[in-house]
Amino acid sequence: MAPIVQCMGLTKTYGGKLALNQIYLNLERGRIIGLLGPNGSGKTTLIKIMNGLLNPTAGEILINGLRPGVETKFSISYLPERTYLAPGMRVMDIVQYFQDFYPDFQVDRAYDMLARLQIQPYERLKNLSKGTKEKVQLILVMSRDADLYVLDEPIAGVDPASRDYILHTIVGNYNRNATILLSTHLISDVENILDEVVFIRQGNIVLQAGAEQIRRNEGKSVDRFFREVFAC
Amino acid sequence: MLGKLMKYEWQATWKLLVPTNLLIIVMTFFACLTVRLDGLSSRNEGVVFSAGMILAVYVLSMFVALIGTAIYLIYRFYTSTYGDQGYLLHTLPVDKHHIIIAKVLVSQAWVMISAFLMYVSILFLFNAEKDIMTDFIDGLKVMVAQTIDERVSAFAVVMAFIAVIVSMLARVLKVTACISLGQLSSNHKLLVAFAFYFAIYIAQQVVATLYYVFSGYINRTRSWNPFDSWEFVLIIELIYSVVFYLLTWYVMDRKLNLD
Repeated sequence: MAPIVQCMGLTKTYGGKLALNQIYLNLERGRIIGLLGPNGSGKTTLIKIMNGLLNPTAGEILINGLRPGVETKFSISYLPERTYLAPGMRVMDIVQYFQDFYPDFQVDRAYDMLARLQIQPYERLKNLSKGTKEKVQLILVMSRDADLYVLDEPIAGVDPASRDYILHTIVGNYNRNATILLSTHLISDVENILDEVVFIRQGNIVLQAGAEQIRRNEGKSVDRFFREVFAC
Repeated sequence: MLGKLMKYEWQATWKLLVPTNLLIIVMTFFACLTVRLDGLSSRNEGVVFSAGMILAVYVLSMFVALIGTAIYLIYRFYTSTYGDQGYLLHTLPVDKHHIIIAKVLVSQAWVMISAFLMYVSILFLFNAEKDIMTDFIDGLKVMVAQTIDERVSAFAVVMAFIAVIVSMLARVLKVTACISLGQLSSNHKLLVAFAFYFAIYIAQQVVATLYYVFSGYINRTRSWNPFDSWEFVLIIELIYSVVFYLLTWYVMDRKLNLD
């Protein structure tokens, strides 16, 4: 099968400033892939283009062989790095919202995860803490049976104790034939679940390799290797 | 998916706009009661003051409802489409045409509801001394009779009414188009949206002026009648609606750049 994501000369500029520089990248199916890079390296720009929230300046990106559009949105489950839910909605309203728009949404899975985290369905989002809102969003995203999960900084805003739960939720609830693209700069927290890593710096892909391959070839953890590659 | 988008758009807006429209109804009731009881002619200064306050609050509430509804609908479109909530909206597997149609139709519905309530409110107020239901019907007759100073066909009246509705639609779409065009700027999105709005407003004024000059209204070779120019209003507002719709769609579909 063709890769789930194919980037061909993908370029994005913001008012003359280069954010992505002619990226060529293929992401295979059934992998958990870390998109790793320092702040401002182009991770979020690449993710937004995948989701059709940004239009590329040049080049092309294909998801499941298609340009971003209505069809590709059926197959991507996206967690942005911000709260994108209307604050006045109740948790159960937003569950219903996802159920209405995404045919692959598993409502029982969502309520099961909410119960385990003791999040009340009738609570309004505006009454929840920032960390709990992020958990609600993650639950919604992971309750879909998507082909590609794109998670932008899923653990950045939560306390270290909750990070394990979130990573456990991610690994425990995705379709095994699907791909998870996980963007973060907290590499030590996610290293153990990654099959593959993509290093990105100043809009350029500087490395794409298996996590185990890095550990074996470099004789150090991905986190340690990342710190050396991106040392200031 | 269009039906679902409209359902959620309606649910998101009714919580604020139903109370706003209820405010119009409640204040109309108190204002009519004040006029009917002739509170301003009372010998008691306290009653006169209270009546004056009620009428002042009535006028104020009309402005608040009118401006508040407009500002809220603009704010709602901006935040739900190009703000943080846009991240959810634009990743839903729905066509961009459906997104625009859902938002515009719900906004149009609220504009029409508010406009209708205000018209009825004013009608009631000016006829508060008589039987309300009779005067509501009389009021419509009087309004039409006073507005028209020559014979106008029923067809022209209906078409003029449709032209007014299309004109409202064009105004809603003008706002969505300007907000969308503002997104083309990387740093000053709101400022650019305002600039587009005023530029378009001036262009529309020029077009209208040219029409009235060349059609003989301004140099008084023809008597002016609002029902007589419905063709021009309907055609031009339809053209504006299509242009503003396409501009909104173009930016949303081809030039989307969420911060």
